[in-house]
Amino acid sequence: MLEKTGIPTKEDIKSITPSEERRRKGPVAVIECFQKIPCNPCYTSCKFGAIKEFKDINDRPVVDFDKCTGCGVCVVNCPGLAIFIIDETYSDTEALVKIPYEFIPLPEEGSYVTALNREGKPVCRAKVVKVQNAKSQDRTPVVSLAVPKEYSMEVRFFNINDYFSDNTYICRCEELTLGELRELIRMGYRTLDEIKRISRAGMGPCQGRTCRQLIMQELAKTTGQKMEEMPMTTFRPPVKAIKLGALAGGDDNE
Amino acid sequence: MNKTADVVIIGGGISGCSIAYHLAKKGVKNIVVIEKQYLASGSTGRCGAGVRMQWGTERNCLLSKLSIEFFENANEELGAVHDIEFKQGGYLIVASTEKEVEQFKKNVALQNSLGIPSVYLSPKEAKEIIPHMDETKILGATFCPKDGHLNPFYTTEAFANAAKRLGVEFMTYTTVTGITTENGRVTGVHTDKGYISTPIVVNAAGGYSKMIGQMAGVDIPVYAQRHQILVTEPVEPLQGPMYMSFSLNIYCQQTPHGSFIMGRGDDKEPTDLRITSSWKFMEEMAKTCCELLPILSKLRVIRQWAGLYTMTQDAQPIYGGVKELEGFYLACGFSGHGFMLGPATGLLMSEIILGEPTTIDVSNLDKDRFARGELIFEPSVV
Repeated sequence: MLEKTGIPTKEDIKSITPSEERRRKGPVAVIECFQKIPCNPCYTSCKFGAIKEFKDINDRPVVDFDKCTGCGVCVVNCPGLAIFIIDETYSDTEALVKIPYEFIPLPEEGSYVTALNREGKPVCRAKVVKVQNAKSQDRTPVVSLAVPKEYSMEVRFFNINDYFSDNTYICRCEELTLGELRELIRMGYRTLDEIKRISRAGMGPCQGRTCRQLIMQELAKTTGQKMEEMPMTTFRPPVKAIKLGALAGGDDNE
Repeated sequence: MNKTADVVIIGGGISGCSIAYHLAKKGVKNIVVIEKQYLASGSTGRCGAGVRMQWGTERNCLLSKLSIEFFENANEELGAVHDIEFKQGGYLIVASTEKEVEQFKKNVALQNSLGIPSVYLSPKEAKEIIPHMDETKILGATFCPKDGHLNPFYTTEAFANAAKRLGVEFMTYTTVTGITTENGRVTGVHTDKGYISTPIVVNAAGGYSKMIGQMAGVDIPVYAQRHQILVTEPVEPLQGPMYMSFSLNIYCQQTPHGSFIMGRGDDKEPTDLRITSSWKFMEEMAKTCCELLPILSKLRVIRQWAGLYTMTQDAQPIYGGVKELEGFYLACGFSGHGFMLGPATGLLMSEIILGEPTTIDVSNLDKDRFARGELIFEPSVV
């Protein structure tokens, strides 16, 4: 699958994930290098001997998690940007994920970005805690994101735009923001139909083509319901906005 | 999960929420409102949401006047979180037959005698109020500037939240499955979430009120009939008042949001609980609208929907208890006017249930008037 999609399978991920016990102890390197290629800078750069010696330069790296200190030197030395540091001791609820990021512009420390998973799908809102870009990193900046702990093995990239901000528009026709949606959910509105009627989301010219899924996603996330089990709103005619004059049989060219 | 309540109200629309609020305000404790879906999910949330004082019988004038005066202060009275969006742009009711002209002149005299500021207008004067109308299609009109429109979801929410603050419990997504009685008295309500033992049940179930009556062994002479509405894309403010005609069969209003909402009646509509949409409505509505308000032909329709009118033979509501079952009260059969009468319904029903003298005499709006043959016809209905 990886060859076709570029996305590692669950088994691939499982094979390189440090144990929960190790993750609770502090920062650790996670090497997501799944193909045999002639490359070994991770091994040569590690001062702690935490990456086992390569018998063949085509070998895949193996980390000795007990020796790894999570220093991050291997992160900037990996030409494939395949190494991440995760630190689940960052706070009670959040983990730190350090991501090599060779794009411009770099995010600003303290700003919020949209954390993405390995498939590039949005996972959560993340705060940029640190941006390291020292000369020794040789133009591989490392961005540290604070994410909810359960996403430490999910989040592997980010979009610099803060799509999970309260200011993001969910319904563009009727201008409902994510913040307003969250407030309605807090007030106790629990279904798409209720939210539609109380906020007008989905009642505009597009008839919910964009917001329907976005509202369901947020509801699913907040209330723990499964999207596929949630009731939809009624799809009502007409499919496309049509002039009254045309409906009345006038000479309108619609 | 079984429990006990002093009053159980069936129906979480404007009527049920208003009755709950008014009872709680008068000090009744332990009130439970049962709603099959969510609040305002039935006729309340599907209605045109216009409110008017221009009626042809004294009592309807007084009931609607009381309600509109309540709506004027409802944001404060109910402590609404969302503005109920009450816009008093007036109702322009046009006459297109000589019979209507005659009736409307009588109506205005009646309304004025009750303190309702309506006026009779010539077609030319009517056109000054709605400049884009085709005045050649009408013979005259009446106008009352205090009539208007409000948001049915926010209004119901405001009643419900105010009731909750007074201790009323709302059970949404709960279906009534039976009503228990003993020796001619109500004793409780079965729901899919458990049994509630109660001496008083109020049937405010709108289109489903006949079904609820059957559960209690009470035959309520009402039937549900589908009515349809369409809404356009929002545009800049263009039309202040509601445009309405009984004989030409249209009501058409621009909401504060900018969209136009319009509907019409149809005697041939199904009388089951169907709320699907029909093409026939869309086509006929568009034709009527384009003929009377030509400029609106350029507006795009974005959605149509339907809801239920709960009709009685005389198009007037049924208020009060029933002689065959003590503790069973009816607030149903509003015939398309339940939303605008919401505040009056709540106040009067709370007075009836508590045995107080009623603010407006509604004693002959009881269920048995149909059996007695004492119908009270209202000339001004769509």
